[in-house]
Amino acid sequence: MMRGGGGMGGGMMRGMRGTSADSMFAPSNDNLTDEDVVGRVYDNRVVMRFMTFIKPYKGYALIALASLLVYAAVNAGIPLLIKYGIDWAVAEGEVGRVHVIGAAFMVITVIHFLSNRLQFIFISRTGQHVLYDLRSGMFSHLQNQSNAFYHRTPIGRIMSRMQSDILQLQETFELLALALAELVTVGAIITLMLIVNWKLALVCMFVVPVLTLIMMYWQRFARHSFMRIRRAIAMVNGEYNQNITGVRVVQSLNRQDENMAHFRTLNQEYLDANLEAARYSGMLQPLVELLIGLGIGLGVVLFGGWLLQRDALEVGTLVAFAFWIQRFFEPIRQLTMQYSQLQRAMAAGVRIFEVLDLDPDINDKPDAVALPEVKGEIRYNDVTFHYVEGVDVLKNVNVHINAGENVALVGSTGAGKSTFVNLLHRSADVTGGSISVDGHDIREVKRESLVHQMSMVLQEPYLFSGTVRENISYQNEELTEDQIIEAAKAVGAHDFILDMDNGYDSELAERGINLSIGQRQLISFARAIAGNPRILVLDEATANIDTHTELLIQQALSRILKGRTSIVIAHRLSTIRNADKIVVLDRGRVAEVGNHDQLLEAGGVYAQLYAINYGLSGPSVDVAPVGGEVIGADGLSPAAAD
Amino acid sequence: MGILLRIIGMASHYPMRLGLAYASALAAIGFSLALPWLFGNAIDLMVGRDPDTGKFIVQDFSMAALIFFGVGILVVSISRGFCDFGRTYTTESLSQKVSFDCRNLLYDKLQNVSFAFHDKEHTGDLMSRATADVEAMRRFVNMGMIRSLDVVVRIVAIPFILFFLNWELALVSMIFVPAIVLRSTFVMRALRRKWLHVQQVMGESVTVLQENLAGMHVVKAFASEDFERRKYNRKAEELRVEYFDAERMQGTNSAWMTLYFTFALGVVLWYGGWQVVDGNLTPGDLAKFFLYLNQLTFPIRASAQIINTFSRAMSSGQRLFNVLDTVSPVSERANARDMGRPEGHVRFDKVGFSYQDRSPALREVNLDANPGQVTAILGAPGSGKTTVVNLLPRFYDVTDGAITIDGADIRDFTLQSLRHNVGIVHQDVYLFSANIRDNIGYGVKDATHEDIERAAKVAQLHDQIMALPHGYDTWVGERGTTLSGGQRQRLSIARTILIDPPVLILDDSTSSVDVETERQIHRAMVEVMKGRTTFVIAHRLSTVREADQILVLDKGTIVERGTHEELIRSDGIYQSIYELQLRPQEEVLLEAAVPAMADGRAAL
Repeated sequence: MMRGGGGMGGGMMRGMRGTSADSMFAPSNDNLTDEDVVGRVYDNRVVMRFMTFIKPYKGYALIALASLLVYAAVNAGIPLLIKYGIDWAVAEGEVGRVHVIGAAFMVITVIHFLSNRLQFIFISRTGQHVLYDLRSGMFSHLQNQSNAFYHRTPIGRIMSRMQSDILQLQETFELLALALAELVTVGAIITLMLIVNWKLALVCMFVVPVLTLIMMYWQRFARHSFMRIRRAIAMVNGEYNQNITGVRVVQSLNRQDENMAHFRTLNQEYLDANLEAARYSGMLQPLVELLIGLGIGLGVVLFGGWLLQRDALEVGTLVAFAFWIQRFFEPIRQLTMQYSQLQRAMAAGVRIFEVLDLDPDINDKPDAVALPEVKGEIRYNDVTFHYVEGVDVLKNVNVHINAGENVALVGSTGAGKSTFVNLLHRSADVTGGSISVDGHDIREVKRESLVHQMSMVLQEPYLFSGTVRENISYQNEELTEDQIIEAAKAVGAHDFILDMDNGYDSELAERGINLSIGQRQLISFARAIAGNPRILVLDEATANIDTHTELLIQQALSRILKGRTSIVIAHRLSTIRNADKIVVLDRGRVAEVGNHDQLLEAGGVYAQLYAINYGLSGPSVDVAPVGGEVIGADGLSPAAAD
Repeated sequence: MGILLRIIGMASHYPMRLGLAYASALAAIGFSLALPWLFGNAIDLMVGRDPDTGKFIVQDFSMAALIFFGVGILVVSISRGFCDFGRTYTTESLSQKVSFDCRNLLYDKLQNVSFAFHDKEHTGDLMSRATADVEAMRRFVNMGMIRSLDVVVRIVAIPFILFFLNWELALVSMIFVPAIVLRSTFVMRALRRKWLHVQQVMGESVTVLQENLAGMHVVKAFASEDFERRKYNRKAEELRVEYFDAERMQGTNSAWMTLYFTFALGVVLWYGGWQVVDGNLTPGDLAKFFLYLNQLTFPIRASAQIINTFSRAMSSGQRLFNVLDTVSPVSERANARDMGRPEGHVRFDKVGFSYQDRSPALREVNLDANPGQVTAILGAPGSGKTTVVNLLPRFYDVTDGAITIDGADIRDFTLQSLRHNVGIVHQDVYLFSANIRDNIGYGVKDATHEDIERAAKVAQLHDQIMALPHGYDTWVGERGTTLSGGQRQRLSIARTILIDPPVLILDDSTSSVDVETERQIHRAMVEVMKGRTTFVIAHRLSTVREADQILVLDKGTIVERGTHEELIRSDGIYQSIYELQLRPQEEVLLEAAVPAMADGRAAL
């Protein structure tokens, strides 16, 4: 009734072309499909799978089913009671019998009420438990997916599965229960009518086959028409959304008139689709009324009167039949209306189970052990990695990092820097070679025990809504107050945190956007070192932040690197120069390793770059092409690319 | 109440539909009320009561009379069916027309209202106005305006008929009706609060989900999957409990409602049957009672819902009219004229600006840019850089002083001609869900493919577009190929080149890009600035150096101005910005170490 929101957002239009352009990314074979409603009305696999979710709540479901059957039976039986009230009591002129029937009716009323309430409550209870399990299961499953999965799957697509698809299922769940009740009612009515007077029953029901045929025919058009509405509303809402989010461009480019004209056509289509649907659904009304008229007027009154005249029928039967016929058509009309809902639900089911069936990319081995406390020595042994077979992102990488060493990772976009560090905390597993920490192959240990000993700071600081305290203790909820404050002080965030309204208990907005980017960066530093990790991975931020914070961050950086093994994806020369070891990556290979002085002395790639770039003081952009030529000439095997 | 009247006013733009809807609704009621009457009379025709024994006897009746009733019922039913069809269709089309109008008005308002409005409204909220609130209005037209008549007439007419038949029985069977309507109205109120609460919990769980998905790299990096699971499960559990609670309330209410009607049937059977035995009621009238009572089920069930559509329409209508009644602070003067094509001499004369009663964002800004000159604007975040450039195309209006182009106040021109002459290159440009060609040609109605290609070439984007499998037909934006930040920026440059404005605003606060991209962007920027009066919000040393004048903003005022050489020696803010931000960019060069991606494909 007031549920709202169910209709929109389920799936936008399909009209997109050429998504295959991102060849850089992993294959899309296990991507979530992006289909619209094309599903069947009944898909056995979906229903069976759904049943397995109901199983844990068998008890509730059985109570729901039982009370539903009782309710439906009583529903159909009430006119029968009226019939006996009239024929057995009233028609015989027996006041005593009237009282008996009246009292019986009251008992039935109570049963009716109780079974009605019970079925409502237990259907809902079962349904909500199942939905919880689905939500929780999907969420849990999504946590097991690798970064590669998130790279290739738009968040919106996952969100729509967890929101609108689940809502669709929920609506359908309730609908199915109701439909079952209606079906039972119809069945019971037919049975009772046949038992009470089969001749009259047959005459009244001769229209049913006709009705069924008409319904089937009608269904085809109606379904088409409902799909048209869904498509149209998706277009209208999409255009709305685009217009609101893009309003600044629209206004600066003076597009209002064209946009309005475009929107009008979309809106008009939605209107037309709705009117069409109104015509279709409205058409059923005269039809059903005609059938009721035929049943009551010709069947009950004429044929019934004829039977009555021959004493083959009692008057109460006529009244009961009038009730039955009216109730008989109502469920049928209801059921046909829900046809498209069923179809949507099946499609939603398919999409939900698709998420539940995703294979987790990274699993701990069954015999994985917890990694003991490490010193922080890291070894890359002949590491190779690819997303797509044949396109290696890393090739035969051998790097040895001593405990406590500070390593700068240098290389161009696409050289494999991010992959290099992502493999370390097992966002993905190596496809060749191995990585070890303190001599333990990281695939042999529990991922959690590994990752808890390292920390990561990303270029774009990402915080969660919640308090500052919760964000700093994100990795380890058991951190003490002192440890949290100590971490904040170490990165120079303590002061501004205290300046906030509630200090460490200040609430951050979604993604922390109520803080400046620099402040967010500092909190993410604090978060990284709060657990005092042995290994720190850091993607140096290059975003523009105000000068004051910039200084704070530079200072914090040197402090947090001290005494830990660290790998920094470095962008600033100062960071690189101060590193114990510089690893120069080129197209997935290690081109050079050494410290600043060694590499300068070696006179290799790094030295030349340093000479060219740092020696010149002119605008960077003018230098770049020169650099490009030099590197090419240096024979860093451009031919090896691709 | 005014809000409802206003909605009714919108509906009365369609008097034909409105009139037809009411007429067919009334006719349908008439026919449906005739049905029990015919049936009951047919029963009385067939069955009588022996006054001595009190037993029923089958009367001697003519088949012709029976045929009259039988066919009468059939005809009445069919007529009612057609009237019902007329009512549903006219009602539906009326309500759809109203929501159609409403969506159009809203869309137009939203795209024309000034930035100040969009600054404070959230997309999600505006979307929900366009969907949920418009729908609530539509339901009001449907249920509140038309259906309510139907319900009211039935609720008045049926008891009236029953009282006329037998007032005692009518009283006994319907005594609870007012109570039941009242009760269920209250329950519906409570339910609405409950559902709102459910929605809120749902929203919270979505936030957790969204943050989790968007921050998955962080979750992975900290191995906090279990923590996240617990966090989400807590919300999901809360949602389950709240949802169940609301559904239980709803179900219980519905069960009570049903109970009442079953109970009333029982009362009619019991007390009515007694009355028949006593000879105070005919068998036919008893049948009428049953059938009329049955007809009362729907209106009473619907009445609580209808009462609710009123309150929803009031709140939704308010939200909608708030937007529709917004007067954009930036509006054209009555005698606004077309700007033509100006030379591009831009002056800010003591310009002041404040966003909605907040402390001034700009104070006493004076600025003079000659045609073709490049002005770089620098300053810390929040110092007013963006505000300065947003005033020029009148996305906001100055609150003090004036801006002139070629000597004329920009408020004297039509908005369209002004904006046509002041181009903007956004830093992170918005891509529309369309192909690349249409995205580039977005601001020019009849751009040819050649024009677009030329613009893309100048913007250094053509080669990369051609490297895409579908070239200019590649779909971008929502659900399309994603372009990198640098490519988006150049696409925006191409857009602007196509429009060819004499005055140009460049927002160049790009964060991290590699050197190759940087070089391409720079080239494109140099191209687009040629021969235009340009304002650059600059972060790139190369751009800043080449500017004819540099303005440094601090807290809304210009604190330094001059060329690079002048300012670098002045030991002011510019000098410290240079040291801390601009110069380190040169260091970033090592990024360029191995320009393997020189062909630019890596970024796509």
